[in-house]
Amino acid sequence: MKFLKKLFLSAFFVSSLLATSANAGDCKARLGDFDWSSANIHTAISAFILEKGYGCEVSVTKGSTTPIMAAHYDGQLDVITEVWYDNIIANYEPYVANGTIKNIGVNTPDSQQAFYVDKTTADKYNLKSVEDMKDPKIAALFKDPENPSKGRMTSCISGWTCYTVNLVKQKEYGLDAFYTNFDPGSGGALDAAIAGAFAKKKPIFTYYWAPTGLMGKVDLVRLTEPKWSEKCWADMSAVVEKIKAEGPEAYTKSCASEYRDMALTKSVLTKWADAHPEETKFLSQYSIPTATVNRMLAYYEDESDGDMELTAKEYLKSETAWTSWVPADVASKVKAAL
Amino acid sequence: MFKDRKNLFNLGLLGIFIWLLITSYSSSKRKPESVGELLKDFSWLSDWPKWLDLPLMPLINKMFKSLNENYGFIFEAINNVLLAMLMGLKNFLVQAPWPLVIIGVVILAYYASGKKIKTTVAVGFCTFFIGFLHPRFWDKAIETTSIMIISIFLCLVIGVPIGIWMSRANKVREKILPILDLMQTIPAFVYLIPGIMLFGLGAVPAIIATFIYAVPPLVRLTDLGIRLVDTEVTEAADAFGASNKQKLWGVQIPLALPNIMQGINQCTMMALSMVVIASMIGTRGLGDEVLLGLQQLNVGRAAEAGIAIVLLAIVLDRITQSYGETLQERNSPTKKEKK
Repeated sequence: MKFLKKLFLSAFFVSSLLATSANAGDCKARLGDFDWSSANIHTAISAFILEKGYGCEVSVTKGSTTPIMAAHYDGQLDVITEVWYDNIIANYEPYVANGTIKNIGVNTPDSQQAFYVDKTTADKYNLKSVEDMKDPKIAALFKDPENPSKGRMTSCISGWTCYTVNLVKQKEYGLDAFYTNFDPGSGGALDAAIAGAFAKKKPIFTYYWAPTGLMGKVDLVRLTEPKWSEKCWADMSAVVEKIKAEGPEAYTKSCASEYRDMALTKSVLTKWADAHPEETKFLSQYSIPTATVNRMLAYYEDESDGDMELTAKEYLKSETAWTSWVPADVASKVKAAL
Repeated sequence: MFKDRKNLFNLGLLGIFIWLLITSYSSSKRKPESVGELLKDFSWLSDWPKWLDLPLMPLINKMFKSLNENYGFIFEAINNVLLAMLMGLKNFLVQAPWPLVIIGVVILAYYASGKKIKTTVAVGFCTFFIGFLHPRFWDKAIETTSIMIISIFLCLVIGVPIGIWMSRANKVREKILPILDLMQTIPAFVYLIPGIMLFGLGAVPAIIATFIYAVPPLVRLTDLGIRLVDTEVTEAADAFGASNKQKLWGVQIPLALPNIMQGINQCTMMALSMVVIASMIGTRGLGDEVLLGLQQLNVGRAAEAGIAIVLLAIVLDRITQSYGETLQERNSPTKKEKK
């Protein structure tokens, strides 16, 4: 289903591109988008406003974290509407320092990523923290069919930084003796694995994040981890970058803490921001709370028939917060386009 | 009489089409307030109207959900059987010392190729180079091979009988051919994602997906092989009073074997091409090295793993192909005259 949605989505972007190229002004915006829904929704909403309100010629390129961010650092993509800043600090900051890109503030102020267990199992065995998971009897509940001596922790996708972060966390917490760090291969597969476990009422121990459409539909309990601290996180990030470059053998003992309930940020090319001050001002004011994003994602999945443009329109119709990000004339243009 | 029935059938189809139009329209959330509006405002003729939309997606979702909830145990059972077979094979091969595995492959190649030294040596070197490229690749290649062997086993058990059945009944052939076309053209992701929800992440949905993708050429070539058996030969068999069963096992299948082997060879090659796609649903093996190389923008890593897949393909191709050639030589009339 996810694939179909993406197909529809890309078809819609291509068509919207064709439809607007005729009347576009001198503003061109190349947006980078990712393969998960919350990024898609921010891209769809900002693309709609940029296109209808500012008359920009918008093109959207979609991919996974590494290639899209690399293209952004390289100056090939102007705007990224959702950057998982904490996960990529180490390779993001140098480009801010040399002036290539600019961090223009938060898009979802209260997002989260963590380790979760389904509520039924968590209640039954009183699982509250990662420490509670370190028990062979508990691990047996989540038995990895391909490695039956351990439990399976469905982790992040191996190309995403969180996969390596989870690898380090497992080692630091001592979870690696009990669980595999299982790479689901792609975002769609991770969602399907969680949804499938709930449909079959089977226990699941997984890494996941909010805002997501799925989070609104399933009952996952967040496991507590050691409190976040800047020093600890920096130490861990250094090890993570080393492992990413040299392989898992490069692991050295460091530190680990919970993911910070972090702010997802937006990022623009400095060059583009200088050329488009109006649009940049709008983008830096753009911010939607997690609850609203979850609601829009549920709308996207259940009611829009997988139509992201329709979801963006629904947001613009049902919410008013966005009118304060843009000048009145732009707001009325956007409203007219609805 | 026949014509009337055909007309009736076509009329029925038209009826179904109209019924679909009406139900789609009435169930659409984006239809205009009243039908009258459509006659006043003809703007819906320029762009495809949003209300003209067959509600297939919610229907499939509903069916899939109930399938998962009510018949999950069937898939669980299939999952357990396949997984047990796979783990048995994989653990055996992984635990076996690697030189023994290479020697095993060489011996297999030697006999399959009819004792041709050149092929045997080439296969031996290719096998060695898989591990030589990167020590990590050895276990991954074994994992990939185990998944493929199980998939190909499934293909043989299901594909060859269907091929034989098709060759013997034109009606069956007519019905099965479009299904084979569908299996070959539908994008793999369409059945991979439901596969995860039914079977869980990992090897089993990959085996099922590989089966769907790789079985059509085997079925087609089995069917073709049996059809291509000389009518004079089958007539001769008839003349000697062979029963249908005797004719099939004694004459048609032996003569069709080179074609069937070609089918197995094609099946193997197509199964290998699923390896990278299957890694996107968490299947371990050489494919996930390629995927990782792609996601980390690591050209060298992806290329190294890609070469390992090609080497694996050469090994499997040489073994199955040369076995087919050996069979063909054994069957060809010129050879028989010499003997």
